[in-house]
Amino acid sequence: METEVLIIGGGPAGLTAAFEMASRGLEVTIIDESFSLGGQLCQQTQLIRALPSAYQPMAGFKLANKLTEQLKDFSVRYLLGHRVIGLYADGSIGVTDEKDVFPVKAKKILVATGAAENAISFPKWTLPGVITIGAAQTLVNRDFVMPGKEALIVGSSDFALDVAYQLMEVGVNIKGIIEKSAVVNARDKEKVNQVEKKGIPFYFNSYVKEAKGNGEVEAIDIQLQNGILTETVDLVCIDGSRSPILDSFYQLGCSFGYQEVLGGWIPQYNKHFQTDQKNVFLAGNAAGISNHAALLLTGMISGISICEELKVLNRDAFKELTLSYWRELENLENKDAWQARIRHIEKFSAPLLKDQFIS
Amino acid sequence: MLDKTTIICRCEEISYEEIEEVIDQGARTFDDVKRLTRCGMGPCQAKICTNLVANIIHEQTGRPLHKIPLPRMRMPLSPIKLETLTTDSTSFSAVKSVLDEVELEDGKVR
Repeated sequence: METEVLIIGGGPAGLTAAFEMASRGLEVTIIDESFSLGGQLCQQTQLIRALPSAYQPMAGFKLANKLTEQLKDFSVRYLLGHRVIGLYADGSIGVTDEKDVFPVKAKKILVATGAAENAISFPKWTLPGVITIGAAQTLVNRDFVMPGKEALIVGSSDFALDVAYQLMEVGVNIKGIIEKSAVVNARDKEKVNQVEKKGIPFYFNSYVKEAKGNGEVEAIDIQLQNGILTETVDLVCIDGSRSPILDSFYQLGCSFGYQEVLGGWIPQYNKHFQTDQKNVFLAGNAAGISNHAALLLTGMISGISICEELKVLNRDAFKELTLSYWRELENLENKDAWQARIRHIEKFSAPLLKDQFIS
Repeated sequence: MLDKTTIICRCEEISYEEIEEVIDQGARTFDDVKRLTRCGMGPCQAKICTNLVANIIHEQTGRPLHKIPLPRMRMPLSPIKLETLTTDSTSFSAVKSVLDEVELEDGKVR
């Protein structure tokens, strides 16, 4: 199979990049391992307020629909239920549809593989009933399954509070939110109020000492500042934050740098979201963990960069658009993430990890 | 937060104690730990334990996280059935070449 542009990952970043490119006449192929487009947006029922000017505030799953809908007038090839498993010697991407393995040859590759949730380990954290907050959200909103009746949430980020609220709405009793620092992590004070109003206790300067149970989680020992509190639960939702998914970049020979704020190791890229492998671009959480606005905008920036390289966007228009998307990014992305991104880009020519052994 | 028996690699059931021990013996990267313990060699292929192990190396040795390199990420990037890898697809398959000796019938391993 041949295509001008192959986008790996049909989430928010991949879809906005596809829109920039397909609307300018490029032949775009999107591959995604799931059978629906929109990635994690599909199970996000919370309202997303900060979005680029082209989008109104809306719930995540509605945004997924909108991003998919706006591609319908263009010829985009979708390889859903497909996975990238590696790379051929000639640079083609090895793709499987679970029946066959075949090469996809592309002039440009845009990697928008997103992020994976990090684990937090404590004694018996592998007991059934201990899951990530993302898994809890997927179970409730996509699969319509209640993951438990009595729950503790570990972590207090915006995402953790969103999921706590969504669990409550389907009847899960949230017995507390455990936070290792002294304050709530979430930036959105409204979310904090919403959760506090429901009478859910926050345990600050606290952590999970141990999970207890035989074959499944039955109780949690919470290490508080002044002692131990034992709560009977059948569900523990862990927010260990997220890290970019890097395996495709590794196979493609990209270099990596480290920015803690952006999720740790991330591929090295320039202000056009181009990696040091000049035909490989990236966008979204794979380029550093950030908010929804940044997912969309980084997709847009890398999209127009490929358009310019493949000569469907003239130099002046490209420069102007790049500037305006970057300006929006600066306005909408959290300050610490934006600063880390700038620091990361400045290190483009001096990556920490390069020329890795690929096998 | 961790005790000696806490599982770090859930696929291969490698405990905190086992990781600590190989760090004592000089392991400084994820791949060092992997070679000595099988940590990360199960079905998830280190997708869950990479950061946990990096944090333990950091805590035990004081080495900053940006000095603890990524593990090597090899093909196939996620699990795939051998049957899928060896289908008699008309297009070439570099992966298949490794398994060319496998005999096929109607695209299935005989």
